[in-house]
Amino acid sequence: MTAALAFRDLTLGYDRHPAVHHLNGAVEEGALLAVVGPNGAGKTTLLKGIVGALRPLAGKIELGRVRVRDIGYLPQAAEIDRSFPISVYDLVAMGLWRSAGLTGGIGRADRVRLDQAISAVGLAGFESRAIGTLSVGQMQRALFARLLLQDAQVILLDEPFAALDAKTVSDLLDLVRRWHGERRTVLAVLHDIELVRARFPETLLLAREPVAWGQTLEVLTPENLLSARRMCEVFHDDAAVCEDAA
Amino acid sequence: MRLRTILAALAVLAGAIAASAQEKVLVVATFSILGDFVKNVGGDRVALEVLVGPNGDAHVYSPSPSDAKKLAAAKVVFTNGLRLEGWIDRLVKAAGSRAAVVTATKGIAPIEAAERSGHKAEHGTDPHAWQSVANAKIYVTNVRDGLIAVDPAGRATYEKNARDYLAQLDALEAEVKAEVARIEPERRRIITSHDAFGYFRAAYGVQFIAPQGVSTDAEASAKDVAAIIRQIRRQRIPAVFLENISDPRLLQRIADETGARIGGTLYSDALSDEKGPAASYIDMMRHNVKELKAALTS
Amino acid sequence: MLYDALIAPFAEFEFMRRALVGVFALALGGAPVGVFLMLRRMSLTGDAMAHAILPGAALGFLVAGLDLFAMTLGGIVAGVTVAVGAGFIARATQLKEDASLAAFYLVSLALGVTIVSLKGSNVDLLHILFGTVLALDNATLYLLSGIATVTLLVLAVSWRPLVLECVDPLFLRSVSRAGAPVHFAFLTLMVINLVGGFHALGTLLAVGLMMLPAATARFWATDITRMIAIAIGAAILSGIVGLLVSYHAGVPAGPAIILTAGVVYAVSVVLGPVGGLRRRLVPGRHLEA
Repeated sequence: MTAALAFRDLTLGYDRHPAVHHLNGAVEEGALLAVVGPNGAGKTTLLKGIVGALRPLAGKIELGRVRVRDIGYLPQAAEIDRSFPISVYDLVAMGLWRSAGLTGGIGRADRVRLDQAISAVGLAGFESRAIGTLSVGQMQRALFARLLLQDAQVILLDEPFAALDAKTVSDLLDLVRRWHGERRTVLAVLHDIELVRARFPETLLLAREPVAWGQTLEVLTPENLLSARRMCEVFHDDAAVCEDAA
Repeated sequence: MRLRTILAALAVLAGAIAASAQEKVLVVATFSILGDFVKNVGGDRVALEVLVGPNGDAHVYSPSPSDAKKLAAAKVVFTNGLRLEGWIDRLVKAAGSRAAVVTATKGIAPIEAAERSGHKAEHGTDPHAWQSVANAKIYVTNVRDGLIAVDPAGRATYEKNARDYLAQLDALEAEVKAEVARIEPERRRIITSHDAFGYFRAAYGVQFIAPQGVSTDAEASAKDVAAIIRQIRRQRIPAVFLENISDPRLLQRIADETGARIGGTLYSDALSDEKGPAASYIDMMRHNVKELKAALTS
Repeated sequence: MLYDALIAPFAEFEFMRRALVGVFALALGGAPVGVFLMLRRMSLTGDAMAHAILPGAALGFLVAGLDLFAMTLGGIVAGVTVAVGAGFIARATQLKEDASLAAFYLVSLALGVTIVSLKGSNVDLLHILFGTVLALDNATLYLLSGIATVTLLVLAVSWRPLVLECVDPLFLRSVSRAGAPVHFAFLTLMVINLVGGFHALGTLLAVGLMMLPAATARFWATDITRMIAIAIGAAILSGIVGLLVSYHAGVPAGPAIILTAGVVYAVSVVLGPVGGLRRRLVPGRHLEA
């Protein structure tokens, strides 16, 4: 199987302090990978690096057969300006970027897909609501609808289920399962260990440096989890320059 | 011994006479136009100080301590009178000056001030008597007499200088009348915010009409602009001399919309500096008439 | 009677008709830009820009004297430099837009004052650069119309990335590299609308007709397209009524238009259906669902 993503001695960070430190490995095509770890482990940073929002401090990210703009990325919802006056319909329609481009029209086929996506996430009837009026759960659903439309081969989800109720989580997980069935590559940053154990076959346990990567049951052992927690508590203001290379 | 004293006294007297023959008479003129007259009549015999210099405004001048000093040392002070310099009497008294004060407009028949906004808020006389060359000649004779009164020794010089200058003024008067005659009678009117040309109008027949509205530097209103356009159209005024409209584009718009021509700068209350077109009285009158003719002849 | 009050002024005087056309053009170009500025929390940029353009105008003055074209062109160059420079710093570093712009325009202003003093004269350059709506000659009208046309075209072409850039810049970054160029294009639009507006109509009118209608539209629309339409409408209405007020009551023209826009804004704050005071003062009965 070919790799959808590969990390070669990847170090990502802010202000020369590494948030992801010397990560090596590959994500196979069609994988359903959970990225877990304590707070500050570099999980969001990793996704930002993949999508090109952050340049590596060292090492590189290889994107296999896709380009950055073919990756579907769901950032943490806090980064969206909710006071901007657009409707749910228009927000979801952004997912048609690849086919409609800058000035292209949205044809009838696209409109059908739009409506289907909105129904698929349970937001039928919300089309003309301003995004500022949505609850957290409804906003997440809308963003998932947008992802659906993007029809991306690689999908990155950053804390997609944070602060959502069980029903919403379950509905959205069904979508994830659908994507996995369609042989898309899915990476999801998650906090809920139990959820990962139940639904995600593969896990990367990250604590700035990779602690373990592989089958979920083998990765999420108590020893691994403990050492992850320990590794993460270090952040020196005057750390020395890192001499290691992979 | 007595002889030595007498000789010494004679020597001192001779020295004094000799010194006074070379020493200039200190005179003060209140503003530049008047100063020009004094310079022409006094010639080398006078050391002239002018209080309100070129491009200055004698109406609202606030004197400084150095002005008081000049006044204190002067033998004679020439003023315009006709209420132009409201500040001069107090200044002379404050300076403790024992100079003679000569009103240069004595003998001129004054004109009523036109009602306008701007300087002349009060009714009363129009002080800009020099705008008529005939009046200027009266100024000159008054100056001459004033100088003779304080410096009798120079009588011959003053009378000659005055005669020569009056001849120049006669030529100027003829020139002005001839130029105005070249302007068609129904085109002899302009719009200007200057309110200083009453005597010019009386002497030479050119009308200086006040603009309705648009009177200050502040931003114009549509009402003002409409009023002035209507006025220009209705009274068929061929030229606008509106230096107080600081925005040249607005002036151009008014000109475009009425077909009027935009005139140049008119000097009314003061001379320009040496490099300017109105450095002397005669230059000033010539310049003004030239500008008027340029704007008004078709 | 009504004809005399409303139509006659425009029928009788060409400068009134020109003023109307000028306001139209400014509304079409400036109001949409103003809406975006407001949504991006850049509402005070207009005033900052009025100062930032000084060194450009000063250089134009040094080169060509009191030539309005040279000074306006210099102003545009300076304005674009400041706006794009500030925008670039805001994107590439952790400094936000407002601080970045403040830093740039202050330095620019100081530079401008220095350049002016080099020539020795005490000319109030900015005063000369700013025009009045009552004095629109042909060149200025063409300038305003040109700016409006360019603005509408650029907005039409870059609509999607522009909106995306405001709502979800990370998403935009992940699907397209159009984010930065579109942002800078928008900043350039802002500068030409502002500087062109200053040249033609003065600062008060240019900035005022950009921002007040935008703020007004906030209270009447929940959708950006409708917001822009309402902003344009509010600007045109303010222009017409303001000119008539200036004509009948003798109020200076620029302030009259802005005061009218202010009244429209105040009415919207109180009575506007979206997020205004109306719901607070008169809550009304709630809906079923």
